[in-house]
Amino acid sequence: MNEIYDVVIIGCGPAGLSASINAKIRNKKLLLLGVELCSPKLHKTPIIYNYPGLPNIKGEDLRQSLIRHVESMGIEITKKKADGVYSLGEEFNILCGNETIRSKTCIIATGISYGNDIDGEKEFLGNGVGYCATCDAPLYKGKNVAIIGYTSEGEEEAEFLSEVCSKVYYIPMYKFSSKLKGNIEIINEIPLKIIGNKHASGILFNNSTLNVDGVFLIKETAPMEQLVPGLELYEKHIKVNRNMETNIPGLYAAGDCAGKPYQLAKAVGEGQIAALSAVSYIDKMKH
Amino acid sequence: MVLEVSQNEFDKEVLNSQRPVLVDFYADWCQPCKMLSPVIESISHKYGEMLKVVKVNVDKSADIANQYSINSIPTLIMFKDKKAVKTFVGFKPQPILEKEISEFFS
Repeated sequence: MNEIYDVVIIGCGPAGLSASINAKIRNKKLLLLGVELCSPKLHKTPIIYNYPGLPNIKGEDLRQSLIRHVESMGIEITKKKADGVYSLGEEFNILCGNETIRSKTCIIATGISYGNDIDGEKEFLGNGVGYCATCDAPLYKGKNVAIIGYTSEGEEEAEFLSEVCSKVYYIPMYKFSSKLKGNIEIINEIPLKIIGNKHASGILFNNSTLNVDGVFLIKETAPMEQLVPGLELYEKHIKVNRNMETNIPGLYAAGDCAGKPYQLAKAVGEGQIAALSAVSYIDKMKH
Repeated sequence: MVLEVSQNEFDKEVLNSQRPVLVDFYADWCQPCKMLSPVIESISHKYGEMLKVVKVNVDKSADIANQYSINSIPTLIMFKDKKAVKTFVGFKPQPILEKEISEFFS
């Protein structure tokens, strides 16, 4: 069996970093998962005016300072993308590709993505619409599928599917210039709607319709309810209480993913609360 | 262990069962299916007298999977009186799943 962590923190923006600092101070065995830059939002913010004590600090300066802070405490940022967080009662299993990470508690601090859903996306989810092409690929053997790629990660998924499916259409939603291997047709149009009856059967574009058996959307972060099956949401955010507890025992959320306002000071404070709540949950487990 | 049902046994074990049946459609290559497996085992243990729990391998029993339009796994389907009465796609934590299926057998 793999070792079991006390806390796994998903996301290394201000909320996740703050959670990691507090979990470390409380001497918990922790794993911090994050992607490049940790907080693209801080990276892009020229000046922050409302963070107490650090007037007019540049976003990028604060981002680097936060990362130096956790690293100086011996916290490593593990560059992995979590595909799924599964609550198994006594513990969580977190899937990263083919690897399974075990933890007693988990803190979600993945921020919020601003992209809107396409019409029909939620309606046909699980009925011909999915977010992980490689996960469901064998079910589409010999069929026609389309991939709507919001990041270049979609290209790999398209190439993988082209080995299994009879025809793959790739619809890049970003500046696309590469060449793909395999039997893949690139479509440079904006998808307006996923259509179908009980099951997705095609994509509607401005002047045309594409008939397919399945549609995969490859996004930077999977939608919350996909990342954590069973998680309760409130509007677009994870539903939490004052202690940053979600509806799943041992699972906490902090920062933008837990609701508005999308502000730095709030994220940092929530990260701390989430970590302390996780610590007290672990302490109670022992007794 | 939860009983695995093949294509040939499906009518007998699922459709003609006296008890309601929860069917777990899975495949060996599917990671979330592995996560769901202990949950299914535990539910089978806990409610065994009122509820029958079986699993169907979608690769080995592709006809059944097609018939019930399984295109994402794991998928759970609740059968009662020869009919599919409720479908759940994807993993669910045990307490949440229990709550959602309890109306069919209690």
